[in-house]
Amino acid sequence: MKHLFLSLALLTSAAAQDTSLHEYLSDSEPWKEAASGYAFTDGLCVDEAGNLFFTDVKGGKGIYKLDAASGKVDLFLDNLPGISGLQIGPDGRFYACHNKEQRVIAITMKGEVEVLHSGVKCNDLVVSKAGNVYFTETPTQMIHLITKDKKHIVADQGHVAKPNGITISPDERTLVASEHGGKHVWAWHIEDDGTLTGGAPFMTMWLPVGKETASGDGATTESKGRYFVTSELGVQIFDPAGRLSGIIAKPVADGKVVSCEFAGKDHDLLFVAAGDKLFSRKLKVTGYFR
Amino acid sequence: MNRRLILLTALAAAHLPLIAAQQDDQYVLGPDSQEKADVPKGEVIQMPAWKDSKIYPGTTRDWWIYVPAQYKKETPAAVMVFCDGAGFVKRDGQFRVPNVFDNLIAKGEMPVTIGIFIQPGTFPTSNPKEKARSNRSFEYDSLGDLHARFLLEEILPAVAKDYNLTTNPDERGICGNSSGGICAFTVAWERPNEFRKVISHIGSFTNIRGGHVYPALIRKTDKKPLRVFLQDGKNDLDNQFGNWPLANEDMAAALKFAGYDYQFVLGEGTHNGKHGAALLPDTLRWLWRK
Repeated sequence: MKHLFLSLALLTSAAAQDTSLHEYLSDSEPWKEAASGYAFTDGLCVDEAGNLFFTDVKGGKGIYKLDAASGKVDLFLDNLPGISGLQIGPDGRFYACHNKEQRVIAITMKGEVEVLHSGVKCNDLVVSKAGNVYFTETPTQMIHLITKDKKHIVADQGHVAKPNGITISPDERTLVASEHGGKHVWAWHIEDDGTLTGGAPFMTMWLPVGKETASGDGATTESKGRYFVTSELGVQIFDPAGRLSGIIAKPVADGKVVSCEFAGKDHDLLFVAAGDKLFSRKLKVTGYFR
Repeated sequence: MNRRLILLTALAAAHLPLIAAQQDDQYVLGPDSQEKADVPKGEVIQMPAWKDSKIYPGTTRDWWIYVPAQYKKETPAAVMVFCDGAGFVKRDGQFRVPNVFDNLIAKGEMPVTIGIFIQPGTFPTSNPKEKARSNRSFEYDSLGDLHARFLLEEILPAVAKDYNLTTNPDERGICGNSSGGICAFTVAWERPNEFRKVISHIGSFTNIRGGHVYPALIRKTDKKPLRVFLQDGKNDLDNQFGNWPLANEDMAAALKFAGYDYQFVLGEGTHNGKHGAALLPDTLRWLWRK
């Protein structure tokens, strides 16, 4: 009996890794426009109810909210222009790469700002359940860590070609960051103190014909541990073993996708920031971030 | 068998038809895979976990060596590396390499050979309840010389500290299953002056990380002095990475086209080692023939 359970468990985990994207896309659920009229949408993140938050990094006023129930968009927090990366942390505050002000901040739902670190060209971030903030600084090839006790550490430097998107595994033991200036998505082991070890170009993105860089951008994590990484070709999906299992085409063929997140009340709508618009697509899998 | 076990078994049969499929039952181990009282027994030694890899920083892995009874310090031993070594090293396991080596070495059908059985790396965590991230796909499915360098710069020198290993590439082989199969080929392809004998069972010459290009490369590259054994089954995998039987047929056709010393056995099995294990004594006789 014990052996049977063991072998079933092994098979189940192997099967979860082996699924193709054809198994979680529906032909009857194409991309749908979710919001429009912005300059350059970015910074997608989600709350527990499935409401989507985003920014208009080049023209907007602050943080916008797309309501999971009504599908309507409101300006949620004003006077915070130029945020490029956003997530809600374990303390219920927003954590943001305030790119325009070259600082990383935490923001309460009422808009009270705490500066965590300044003087950095921060791009995108992820916050662990332990409260560690990891963010990319694209031009300096750095991955930064602000520990839960607010200590700043350069967690990796000089390895990742223009680090851009950043996300974390569901067991919060692996951090991954996409290359905007290369073709890899790097992975590190997260030690107990939050520091990073064992960095390697663990995943390889598919390249557009005739190009040497994939233009990897914002990334998120699916609940079973797949990584969804935006790129010039579309949303590239990697299984937990780091294998490219498929690419979801962009909603607009000659447009961009620069940020992605699962939202909606069931967390099964994949939203992408695509220039002046947001699009969403219903998948048969759900997001990790809640 | 209680009711729950029956249910589990039925579920396993319904959803996981690849496991212990009927097509695989025809492949059983022959006498050369069994321990024999009158045949000298080599020694299987578990080595201290390999924790300080420079090539794969942050990983740890288990490994074992097999030293034949006929080994003498004055005479360099042939070398054979087994990827996913744990599946090959047990005397009562699927492949039973120590038994096969004992029997074939005693009969003079293969040279006195030290076996090196090595696992892929994992990223260990402080919490034993956590599942460590596996580095297997990165190490095995990637093209390039990283794994060859890992063996040549780290593992072989570690064994050579205590044992007299040959440096003759014609007496160095490497074997693996699935991703370990393509890994075995990649090591010899990258370092033909270090490894020249390859066994691939159910080899993943598919697009997990670009390995589908090998047939094209083989056809357009100077012939390398390799001896290559390939086994696959008609009912092997067909998934987002490719079609295993077609990929192996393509490999065999390319090796034939380019004039390689190769053999391809296409059976009826699914994605497991049963056929390869049943063939192994014959495979080794063919591989090591003068």
